[in-house]
Amino acid sequence: MNEAIKWVKTIKYQWTISLAYRLNFFLEVIAPVLVFFFVQYNLWSAIYGSDPNLMIKGYSKTQMISYFGWTLIVGMISRGHMSGNIAEDIRLGRISAHLVYPFDFWKYHFANFLGFQGIQLFIATITFSVLAIFDIISPPSFIHLFSAVIYCLYVSIFWFVIQFLIGILAFWLSETWILRVIFNLITAFLAGTYFPLEIYPSWFQEIMKVLPFSYIQYYPVKIFMGDLSLLPKSFLIISIWIIPVILITKLAWSRGVRRYTAAGM
Amino acid sequence: MNTYLRVYKKFFETSLAEASSFRTSFILIILMDIVFYFTTLSSVSFIYDHVSTIGPWNKNQLMFFIAFMLTMDHLHMTIVSENFWELSVKIRTGTLDFDLLRPLSSIFSVFFRYVRTSSLVNAPLVWSMLIYYGSELNLSWQQWIMIPPMVILGFTLFVIIEFCLSVAMFWTIEGWGINFLRMQLQQLARWPHFIYGYLPRKFLTIILPILLAGSGPVNFIYDFSSFGLLLGALVAIIVFSLVLKYLWSYALTKYDSPSS
Repeated sequence: MNEAIKWVKTIKYQWTISLAYRLNFFLEVIAPVLVFFFVQYNLWSAIYGSDPNLMIKGYSKTQMISYFGWTLIVGMISRGHMSGNIAEDIRLGRISAHLVYPFDFWKYHFANFLGFQGIQLFIATITFSVLAIFDIISPPSFIHLFSAVIYCLYVSIFWFVIQFLIGILAFWLSETWILRVIFNLITAFLAGTYFPLEIYPSWFQEIMKVLPFSYIQYYPVKIFMGDLSLLPKSFLIISIWIIPVILITKLAWSRGVRRYTAAGM
Repeated sequence: MNTYLRVYKKFFETSLAEASSFRTSFILIILMDIVFYFTTLSSVSFIYDHVSTIGPWNKNQLMFFIAFMLTMDHLHMTIVSENFWELSVKIRTGTLDFDLLRPLSSIFSVFFRYVRTSSLVNAPLVWSMLIYYGSELNLSWQQWIMIPPMVILGFTLFVIIEFCLSVAMFWTIEGWGINFLRMQLQQLARWPHFIYGYLPRKFLTIILPILLAGSGPVNFIYDFSSFGLLLGALVAIIVFSLVLKYLWSYALTKYDSPSS
């Protein structure tokens, strides 16, 4: 079968799976980011209270709410994909089939990821429209929007590789969801998901500049908010980090497959 | 009652034996909880570097509230959390039959079967945090005495509401979506009621009173004359217990046991 057809069919398969259980998809993927935004909206409204002139680290109430609006969109595009099924495939011995299929295990999951991203982009577009209509975010110029979306998609590949790496640790661990939760908690805390990095102490911000976390959330949000000058540095930092992560993933895969015993086969 | 205690002891022992055979997961769960506590408390602390109050509360008051919610969350993680995930699997695969056949209350048998023993290790940590933030508030001895029963009361209200929601798994093909819904409610309940706007606050204290689980007890600890929300929590426990009893019986009549 032509290579392209395999990719297209796998992407379509992912759409079918995701949309077969629409309520579950909504509750697992969409609802968490919506609820997070709702909590942050209420929390920061309470923090700013009724003082229209209050500024917190250069953010007015409107700017802070806008920050969380963009956080919602960036979260959907960059950090939506999870690796739960990768670990399950390994633990339940389902990768045995993939090892003999003419379509690699990583290609299969990357195609799934692309299918998932297609849905996420669609939902993010609707979310963007709703937030813009309600004046929570100000739509940037086309070039800003386009550049920021491209950057977010690049970040999402970085995110996929990390999730894939965590997933294939199932060769060694009975449960990988715990590692995934730990990683997601640390990322949310260090990436500027809970609030902009300016809120952290200055020494903490300096450390964050060299780690990849803030380039997953804070920097894309700032780019969406209009600071296009951050784009080259952000691309560079993610590129620097993605290379060792890919190498570690390849190493983990080759070592893991050697350990694989095809449980249940 | 003695029978239930004996059975619960067996549940605990089998959970411990199972957890002990996966030592890496056992340690990682402890680490996961610690990361969660650290990030939650640090986030609130960082916000207070820039403001003196959030709503009517200063830093110590909100930190105590967060520590109170983490203590409740710890009880939740230890005693019931595993069972919600297991329920969705049991309904789908039909292994719920084994729970229903036991000569016990099926609610007890389903929701208290698995204990996350690894989380028990963190008990001293969460209670120490609660005591630390309580001491920062200079609580009186009467207020200290009220803390353990208030934690249990908040925990009871929250899990009864979750039990009611979990009944929906009987009507869904894959029950895990309901578990994600529960997790979103937990996220909403982790903040005091006053941060929410008028309509969501009313909805989350009257219709789906998850905010009463934390705000009711903590407001009462701060000021014994402020018992309105606590009274609401007590009423909610009674109402939702009755709702659960009815919903659970009704759901069991709809359960068609896929394994049979």
